[in-house]
Amino acid sequence: MADGARADTRTTPPPPLLRVTGIVKRFGGFTALDGIDLTVRAGEIVGLIGPNGSGKTTLINVVSGLLSANAGEISLDGRSLTGLPAHRRSAAGIGRTFQIPKPFASLSVRQNLEVAARDGVDIDAVLADVELDRHAARPVSDLNSVSQKLLDLARALVTRPTLLLVDELACGLNPVELARVAERLRALAAAGIGLVVVEHLMSFIDSITDRVVVMNAGREIFGGRLRDAVQDRDVVEVFLGAPEPVAA
Amino acid sequence: MRKGFVRETALVLLPLVVVLAVMPWLYNNQLLLLNIVVFLVLAQGLNLTYGFSGYLPFGYVGFFGAGAYGFALTLMHTAAPPLLAVLVGGVAALLAGLVLAPLLRLQGAYFGLASLAAAEALRHVIANQDLSEITGGPYGVRLDVPFRPVLTYGLAIGILVLVMGLVAWLRQSRFGLRLRAARDNPVSAATAGIDVVHGRLVVWLASATAAGLIGAVYAWSAPTFFPEAVFDLSFSIFAIVFTLFGGAGTLVGPVIGVVVLYGAYNVIGVSAPKYFQLVYGLLIMALVLFFPAGLASLAVRRRRDG
Amino acid sequence: MLLYALLTGLIFGLYFALVGLGMNLVFGVMRIVNLAHGDMLMLGAFTAFWLMRVAAVSPVITVIGTFVLFFVIGLPVYYALVPRLQRSREPEMLSLILFFGLSQVIEAIVSLLFGNNERSIPSRTLGGGPVSIFDQTIPFPWIYAACVSVVIFAGVYLYLYHTGFGRQTRAIMAQREEAVTIGIDVHRVSAVAFGLGTALAAVAGVFAPFMLGSFTPSIGVPIDLVSFAVVVIGSLGNPVGTILGGAIYGVCLMLMRTYFSTLADLLPNLVLIGVLLVRPTGLLGRTVRHA
Repeated sequence: MADGARADTRTTPPPPLLRVTGIVKRFGGFTALDGIDLTVRAGEIVGLIGPNGSGKTTLINVVSGLLSANAGEISLDGRSLTGLPAHRRSAAGIGRTFQIPKPFASLSVRQNLEVAARDGVDIDAVLADVELDRHAARPVSDLNSVSQKLLDLARALVTRPTLLLVDELACGLNPVELARVAERLRALAAAGIGLVVVEHLMSFIDSITDRVVVMNAGREIFGGRLRDAVQDRDVVEVFLGAPEPVAA
Repeated sequence: MRKGFVRETALVLLPLVVVLAVMPWLYNNQLLLLNIVVFLVLAQGLNLTYGFSGYLPFGYVGFFGAGAYGFALTLMHTAAPPLLAVLVGGVAALLAGLVLAPLLRLQGAYFGLASLAAAEALRHVIANQDLSEITGGPYGVRLDVPFRPVLTYGLAIGILVLVMGLVAWLRQSRFGLRLRAARDNPVSAATAGIDVVHGRLVVWLASATAAGLIGAVYAWSAPTFFPEAVFDLSFSIFAIVFTLFGGAGTLVGPVIGVVVLYGAYNVIGVSAPKYFQLVYGLLIMALVLFFPAGLASLAVRRRRDG
Repeated sequence: MLLYALLTGLIFGLYFALVGLGMNLVFGVMRIVNLAHGDMLMLGAFTAFWLMRVAAVSPVITVIGTFVLFFVIGLPVYYALVPRLQRSREPEMLSLILFFGLSQVIEAIVSLLFGNNERSIPSRTLGGGPVSIFDQTIPFPWIYAACVSVVIFAGVYLYLYHTGFGRQTRAIMAQREEAVTIGIDVHRVSAVAFGLGTALAAVAGVFAPFMLGSFTPSIGVPIDLVSFAVVVIGSLGNPVGTILGGAIYGVCLMLMRTYFSTLADLLPNLVLIGVLLVRPTGLLGRTVRHA
């Protein structure tokens, strides 16, 4: 079956891994997501960009099940996830990281991964991969913020996601760390995982994504390659009008 | 994992049970001994829910009362043997726990006070004048049940072994680890695939059942009581304070709490009963202000520094 | 009978709102539950007993004196307990225990000094005879308490909405972390809020002997549950909400007493659980679990 699907890729594009259609999310009177669509294919990295408050993190929260949408459908690999609680979506293959890492404070670094790991995952290998193996037995509170971000990423990885939602991982990392993280994310995509990367740092987005979706006020205003996005009039207007201009 | 479980049970549970088992030969105040086991069970039962899910039920005594009355009503209205009635007490508390499960949607102080209100509501229903025919109402119950001090003491110890075994298992098992993760941060726990609600419910019901069973044994050993006696808020407060004092989430903490504080309370209660409430209040305040994470946390801190 | 229940319900409702107001303020600002609130009220009742019954001080002076005295008492209590509590891992949960301890200490000291007897103050102390409203006869002290409550609500409203300190108090209620970053001295504002909460409890206590009939050193915990129920029915950090909560509670209580008297004691508990379960977020403005 899988082989058959792969053979078709030359003629028709493969079916999307994640399909999000018509998501609406309101907070009281404020509409944070206003009918947004998003598709991600296996092995693809999609950048999600837009000014503060444009709904990026809200979309991530809706897809990962932390918020329930007022309308719209979400499916992963053809299976509907609409209405499922967060832990069931994790089981279905959605992993995520948080803008501000939320580790389990009373557990050790290794235990932080043990609780999340699916059967058969080599926890030590994942720890080594994010260079936290030396700290495995230490309490999480001993880690600095960059290490906590990496632990957050590692915790998402041990759940063996098929779709990984990465919320502002780059913020606070130095250029060397950034390059390593970019490499790691590309490797995940090469292994067939679909990624959605929310990011303010455009050079980082440019270095890893195949295409970007630009959001403003809960809607998609552009979809395509980043280099085309920066020439799009709507996009430029939104970013220049934003309270915090984004460094490209 | 297994090794830790065996070590903890061997170091804490086994010696405790041995000491409790030989105590009746060394010390003849049976009621005090039973009360010690009752508070050990209540403290460990509260430890299940507070230590592993972070919910602090001020109304924990409600389950104790439900157990006592489950036992009493079974004996009053059926021909069931007392042992079966003890089980009914546990089931009554389990059912009360199920009914109150929606309270787990609340957080922090809201949960604490809502559970207290629930326990008070249950007390008022049982003590209601109109239900005197069924529950004995405000006049309480006077049970005609054979006095079997050895059996009730043994039962209490048996319940204690079950509860402490569960705590020890939670401390070492993956399920327990997941509970602690959910307690630390429910949001990331859910995104890590942990069914937070299910875990909380399991410990909540186990905790309720433990209180119910020991409430039934308590009723058996003191078969004449008023509703106020088995719904006394002090049971909740004592269980909370003992657990906090020793350290929630540990196996040995609540035991230390009961031995030290219940011991101290009894000393004050005998030597200076007038000042009991004052000393008790001051102790509670000092506990929260000076070592809110319990004695066990001091030990951990020392180990880490050393 | 229905009219009487509704009318007295509203009057008691205003009084219950006063009982809950201080607890609401303290919770809103500090995120702690003051379980010694009921004991502050009890101390207020004792103060009224000595001032009005023993020393024959006028009611107005008693109210003002009690307010000032307990405001001043509240400040050191705040500094001794709250900052330390807030450094712990779960201040909200632990506040229940800490203030329960304080409540025991207060109750114990008062019992040791003055005994456990029930005390009351004759209603003529407040002056005036029964009042007739819509052909219903209402004892004068009830009207008096309701009027004082209204005056105090107005005062608290003016404080919160029309003074700089009050605005800072509301800022902390809305966003504690942000309030720190914009340079608000959280401890100073919180201490005043705590003092105010204590003073409000004590003033409610002045009228407790009239509204409850009598008082003992151990009325604290039941009063706490009533306060919490009133606060929960209304909304946190909003004096108008507390008035609404008090009114709903008062009317329910009087209806229960009139028609289902044996179940009246159940009321605060059932209302509390019911409201929390049905509309925990709506009425409290707090998030519940995400999972």
